[in-house]
Amino acid sequence: MSVIEYRDVYKAFDAPVLAGVSLTVPDGETLAIVGPSGTGKSVLLKTTIGLIVPDHGDVVIDGESVFCGRPGALQEIRQKAGYVFQNAALFDSFNVYENVSLGIQEHEARRLGRREVARRVWHALEDVNLDPRAVLPKLPAELSGGMRKRVGLARAIVGRPQILLYDEPVTGLDPVNAAAVDRLIEEIAEKTHVTSIIVTHDIEGALSLCDRIGLLDGGKLRFIGTPAEFRRSDEPLVRAFADRQAAALTAMRSERRTPPSRRAGDLQSTGRPR
Amino acid sequence: MASVTHALTGGVRAFGHAGESVARHAGDMAQLAWQSLGATLRGQVAFRDFVIQAYSMGVESLPLVLVTATLSGVVTSQQGGYQFTGSIPLYVLGSIVVNGVVLELGPVMTAIVFIGRVGARITAELGTMQVSEQIDAIYSLGRDPVRMLAAPRILAGMLAMPALVGLANGVGAVAGMLAARSTVGLGYQSFLYGARLFWHSYDLFYSLMKAEVFGFIIPVISVHMGLLTRGGAEGVGRATTSSVVFMIIAVLVADALFPPLFLN
Repeated sequence: MSVIEYRDVYKAFDAPVLAGVSLTVPDGETLAIVGPSGTGKSVLLKTTIGLIVPDHGDVVIDGESVFCGRPGALQEIRQKAGYVFQNAALFDSFNVYENVSLGIQEHEARRLGRREVARRVWHALEDVNLDPRAVLPKLPAELSGGMRKRVGLARAIVGRPQILLYDEPVTGLDPVNAAAVDRLIEEIAEKTHVTSIIVTHDIEGALSLCDRIGLLDGGKLRFIGTPAEFRRSDEPLVRAFADRQAAALTAMRSERRTPPSRRAGDLQSTGRPR
Repeated sequence: MASVTHALTGGVRAFGHAGESVARHAGDMAQLAWQSLGATLRGQVAFRDFVIQAYSMGVESLPLVLVTATLSGVVTSQQGGYQFTGSIPLYVLGSIVVNGVVLELGPVMTAIVFIGRVGARITAELGTMQVSEQIDAIYSLGRDPVRMLAAPRILAGMLAMPALVGLANGVGAVAGMLAARSTVGLGYQSFLYGARLFWHSYDLFYSLMKAEVFGFIIPVISVHMGLLTRGGAEGVGRATTSSVVFMIIAVLVADALFPPLFLN
């Protein structure tokens, strides 16, 4: 399994997004990174496998530098990792089988043969609670948002990675699907003991499934600790963020409970002319 | 005086920025072409992807290319006939139409159709893949977008374009011959006599050489611009527009360089 170290990672686009983040994620840990929008969570995740190159600093995985390593090191690191993208990032012109089988490295697929690749794809889809028989021939456009996320997850785990990186895995999902995806992440972590980093806005989900949680704000890591420490923390930034999230969640729930006819501005449902 | 100096400095700076931008794009595209060549020589390009692209670029572009070629031949013939009637022997029209189509109109009009139909599609397709993180997904899966996306498109362009230009040349010349007969009453024998009189086999080679160069330039620019796309749907639109502009300029500049390099 794998240890991930971020060493003073700094990245600016127009303004600094990551202002020197240092962090170690031990072998087999599930770390959640939370924080307001635009604070560099996804950028940090993308630096892990070199999808974004920091202006300075480095990421080291199992002692191997991502950005200053020997030739071929980055490729090897990417082969160790599975990445679940925010919008699944499935290839539109490929069906589910082709999408998921891409998660098995080329040389390994050649070694395994077609039958074994098909078997692994089948099992990966079962692992994410999809019916392989029903979804294998479908194109991504024929799947619901939740199913696309699961296919993206299946593609990330089919190569049996040592590291799993999740970028907003439950964003855009309804609460039932979000809880199902959270459960899947937890199951995968328990079953495979992979080192996982989850970037999310869903603070409740994150607290329930991670070993540690980090708060990124203004490009800096403002808090890192266990879920219990996070809940107990009286750091003003942690409290402010947690309170904002709780208020947003309460507002969303009460909005859901309110019948459509009572919602302000919903003229059509009240029968009034538009 | 100060304002003149300021304007001059601004102009020099803008020129410098534009030069730097052109050099950077050219460098990136040269690297893209080099990596695609390497992937091709190492046999890393999926044959299936190449066939899909070649079919889409070649077979699916054929109707529009042939319509354009027919109209080019007809218009050249009609205008030539209008100018020559009563001044120059009409059989010269055969040479004007055939050479005009083969040396210039066939390759250039086909390239313009190719830019609109294929180049714009490639930029929009890859641009959408870029903004929806599909390109990042390719990297994250340990694959190479140049091998998966760029090389099959560049190879298919280099195969499809000469084939399309060859057909466009033939169709344009025949359409010109038919139009010459119907508009100025020039018989087929006289048209062919005129066409043979100034014909060099090298002209066809020259035409196909142009096609090969255009078939390389168009996918390279369109792939490069697609992979550079940033900023959602608006970014895809911007990248596609810029890509079409660059492709048209590049094709016309290459076209202008061909006669001094290969005809004298």
